[in-house]
Amino acid sequence: MASMVDNKLAVAPTRSGGLVGGASAWLLPCLILALALAPPLMSNYALDIGFRLLLLITLAEAWNLLAGYGGLVSLGTASFVGVGAYTLTGLVNQWGLPFALAIPVAGLSAVLLAVIVSPAVFRLRGLYFTVGTLALAEALRMFMVNNSVFGGATGLFLAIDPPGVKGLYWFALGLFAVTTLAMTVATRSRFSILLRTVRDDEDAAAQIGVRPFRIKLIAFALASFLMGMAGALQGMKLGAVEPYGMFGIQWTVAVLSIVIIGGQGLRVGPIVGAIFVVAMAELLADYPALNLALTGLILILVIRFAPKGLVGLALRKTRGAK
Amino acid sequence: MPNLDVLTSTLASGFLLGGILALIALGLSIALGVMRLVNLAHGELLVCGAYLSYFLLSQFDVDPISGLLVVGALMALIALPFQRLLIAPLSGKGMEAPMMTMFGVSIILQNLLLLGFSADTRTLEAPYAASPVSLGPVTVPQIYLIGFAISVVLVVLVHQLVTRTGFGRELRASSADPTAAAAMGVDVRRVHALTFALGAACAAMGGVLIGTAFSFTPSTGATYLLTSFAVVVLSGVGNIFGTLLAGIAMGLLQSVGALAFGDGYRDFVGLVLFLLVLAFRPQGITSTGGR
Repeated sequence: MASMVDNKLAVAPTRSGGLVGGASAWLLPCLILALALAPPLMSNYALDIGFRLLLLITLAEAWNLLAGYGGLVSLGTASFVGVGAYTLTGLVNQWGLPFALAIPVAGLSAVLLAVIVSPAVFRLRGLYFTVGTLALAEALRMFMVNNSVFGGATGLFLAIDPPGVKGLYWFALGLFAVTTLAMTVATRSRFSILLRTVRDDEDAAAQIGVRPFRIKLIAFALASFLMGMAGALQGMKLGAVEPYGMFGIQWTVAVLSIVIIGGQGLRVGPIVGAIFVVAMAELLADYPALNLALTGLILILVIRFAPKGLVGLALRKTRGAK
Repeated sequence: MPNLDVLTSTLASGFLLGGILALIALGLSIALGVMRLVNLAHGELLVCGAYLSYFLLSQFDVDPISGLLVVGALMALIALPFQRLLIAPLSGKGMEAPMMTMFGVSIILQNLLLLGFSADTRTLEAPYAASPVSLGPVTVPQIYLIGFAISVVLVVLVHQLVTRTGFGRELRASSADPTAAAAMGVDVRRVHALTFALGAACAAMGGVLIGTAFSFTPSTGATYLLTSFAVVVLSGVGNIFGTLLAGIAMGLLQSVGALAFGDGYRDFVGLVLFLLVLAFRPQGITSTGGR
């Protein structure tokens, strides 16, 4: 997979990571602070959009860690979102756990799933991870639809009332802060170099003493943890979980489009992509099928003409101008 | 414990359906083996074939089985420019870009079908679709028998095409080493375009058979994509008769799974099997195992 083009692209995140990453070291905490001060000024609609944006950015950051930095293109996002949502509902209903505690535990349940399936999805390289994760998502969805233990096709209802719009916004902001911290550590530490080494040439990495399986598993587990918590938040918001919604392919499509449209392997890519995708979904709110078809078209165009997404395109333009 | 008649009929049905699964998987296997393309839109190509047949049946009263080759040819014709337009420009950019492009195509096709035909469940109505055939203790729907026979004939024809013709020689050369093949005067781009069209035709014709034997909606594709992958993983890429055997094995396992756990678990069995094979017997995949 390490063709000429790939090698050229592989350099890009390092360079732009310095540029954008340096700015984001200041920008992201400022952004979180601004978002924390904003709620009194925000309408319920704005808070709802804010919740969705923060949730999708979290999912996209996690997916970006896998695909952009690790070369692991996952089509199984829905599995981890769904497991997180169901775990939260179960914990709250069965043991009356408070939300603040149930959310990280839901994240851990997604990590458990990642660890269980890792032998299957990592044994073969690259593309088999993609197909394996897609198979996992479909298998889990079918299981949840047919198995009555977890409510079958109707799903489960949350026994206590979910927090209001403002409460949900705070939870989402908290999750976003955790994600930002985790991603900053993961992408600016030695780990990020190891991960990119494994992405660019697994054999060479193994030769110099890196353990590819372990590195990939750490990235997969961290991403799943974040995805599971995001799923938990979504389950909390809806107050009910059912397999078609929580384990549905739409999560996978949304998250993947956000990262590819925003810019794979770039720190601010998911943020730009999430704003783009949410804005498009709002504009075409009455035409969901058209929205998805257009998303597919934009995806194809971006892959062809802007492999590093909108952010990559902007960076190229500004550099060209200098 | 189900009685003997049910058991034998279930196994026979699974065996026969396996032939159809093999035809579908063959299309995926060819694209993967020759073009190194993970065609994530394979399931949607199948569903498109079923809708095309549905259109021909409802508008021009064309019987699904008599129109099978027409649907296959039409889908091949539609697929040709797609390959030139979408896949060919991405050659040399690794396997990920074409794969994600096909994922985009699958989203587009699925939602266009949704807009055009709604989410209603459809079946291709034919006199032989429901009527049973009995032989001793075995009773199967007639369409299973027809579908199996057609699929096996098509798989054998593809095998003949690949092993006995000039195009087949160019195809095998492009698969083994595209650079060397190009140096020897093989038009690799043309081979890839025709391979993609052949894969699309296999999917579409399989879709017609599936649409007659079962039902379909715009979102049916993903299941068959993954079942096909499971078959390809079981047999190894580029092994045509291996694909036929693996397809039949998959059909049998699915039927046993459906009998044991309920019909909802039919496809689930295939997916779990796929993940287990990936975990424990990945050497089943040969030619594109590494990179």
